[in-house]
Amino acid sequence: MQNRNEKALPLKAALNLLLLTVIIVAVFWLSLTAVGVTFDFSFVSEYRTRIGQGFLMTLLISLASFAVSLLLGVLSALGQGSRVLMLRYLCGFYVKFIRGTPLMMQIYLFFYIIGTAWGIDNRFVAGVLILSIFEGAYISEIIRGSLLSIEATQWEAAKAVGFSHSQTLRLVILPQMVTRTLPALTGQLASIIKDSSLLSWIAVIELTQTMREISADNFKLFECYFLLGLLYLALTLPVTLITKKLEKKFSYET
Amino acid sequence: MKKIAIVLSVCLLLSAAAGCAPAVTDSEKPLVVAMELAYPPFETKDSAGNPSGVSVDFAKAFGEYIGRKVIIENIAWDGLIPSLQTGKADMIVSSMTITEKRKEMVDFSDPYANALLAILANKNSGISSIDDLNQPGKKVAVKTGTTGDIYAREHLQNAGRIELADESACVTEVVQGKADAFIYDQLTIYRNWKTHEDATVAVFIPFQDVEQWGVAVRKGNTELLDKLNAFIAKFRSEGGFDKLTQKYLAEEKAAFEELGFQWFFDLK
Repeated sequence: MQNRNEKALPLKAALNLLLLTVIIVAVFWLSLTAVGVTFDFSFVSEYRTRIGQGFLMTLLISLASFAVSLLLGVLSALGQGSRVLMLRYLCGFYVKFIRGTPLMMQIYLFFYIIGTAWGIDNRFVAGVLILSIFEGAYISEIIRGSLLSIEATQWEAAKAVGFSHSQTLRLVILPQMVTRTLPALTGQLASIIKDSSLLSWIAVIELTQTMREISADNFKLFECYFLLGLLYLALTLPVTLITKKLEKKFSYET
Repeated sequence: MKKIAIVLSVCLLLSAAAGCAPAVTDSEKPLVVAMELAYPPFETKDSAGNPSGVSVDFAKAFGEYIGRKVIIENIAWDGLIPSLQTGKADMIVSSMTITEKRKEMVDFSDPYANALLAILANKNSGISSIDDLNQPGKKVAVKTGTTGDIYAREHLQNAGRIELADESACVTEVVQGKADAFIYDQLTIYRNWKTHEDATVAVFIPFQDVEQWGVAVRKGNTELLDKLNAFIAKFRSEGGFDKLTQKYLAEEKAAFEELGFQWFFDLK
């Protein structure tokens, strides 16, 4: 039986990749001709500044949201293990509510009700906050999961060799947490990048909104969305590669 | 190599399937009419979820006239013109204004209605004309891709533009004061002003030439277009539009007469 994780021979790999590319391009091209659509990307140079600004905005929103959601996620994961019952319920409710409802609904409710009530009128700030609250719930679960996966015996062993509580956290638990959560966290960054596209619903002028505006102007809907996909891939593919690298690097842990 | 052969033959099959369309003539197929069912009372759904409204009745009457069954496809505004281009629909009846830019993508029938833009402004915005709106610091909400959007792009360059995907979001922005005003057609502005009379004011002073609504068909589909134009003339002379007004728009027509506005279906 051949090991499926084994690296394929370079020639074989190249041949398969080439064939796959040909098939994908052929199917896509055939679909295009079947519906009678031709692509015309001549508009890109005319709109390149706006597309660039939208791209940067998406990057900025994603990074800012990643930072804030990490904070929220850590706090909520710790809160769920808290001895203060109200705090534990609050964090539990937060995670269940956010993970159990669509982002779309949260965006509208937060922006038009909570945002208006508390005077958060800046669309960028509101967008980052909404996205952070949403992603924070998922990050909370990632962190809580890995926290639970650390065996109780480690705490006991650390105590036995005379580590204090904070020493155990700093020297034993935290390093393991980092290696266990890092791949999943970078994976979450890819989700944040994609989810940020929904902020176009409250007219945050990020990449998706920019493309919607452009396609409403020139009716090149397919070209705009095709390019949109490529630009998102340009952001998410490197993140996915990093995730893979990290997974490999830390895989000896288990 | 055997695997490769299989993959290649699958590809060939796929291409063959994509190449040959089923041999059904146009007159046997149902007529697929695309519209965005989010614009009452023209394109909307009844309480049971079935398409209803002026445009739905209009499209069905046309189907009866040419002897083809009508299927209504509910498609978001951005996707309407692409649905024609990709053959997902035969025509669009979605209160679509005839514009030069849209004419480059689709062919329009003779106009069957006309509409003017109006402004729904926040009560505290101090806006009483279009010029009040075209000032730095003012923000105007528009629905992406509508004629209100196109107007704001071309004529309100001093003001900021907030492009949103649906009408209710635009109205909410004005009610909450996030936007100073919303530009849309007179009738929708009138209806939304009536529901939010405490928070908004409506400005009906015309600020552009009359817009006209037409039915859109795929470019070059003259056969359908000729039938449509013949039908629209017949429908008008037989009082079809008056009946639709009575059925869906009686109250609004009375209000428009009081305000001295020209009615939608009264083409000069």
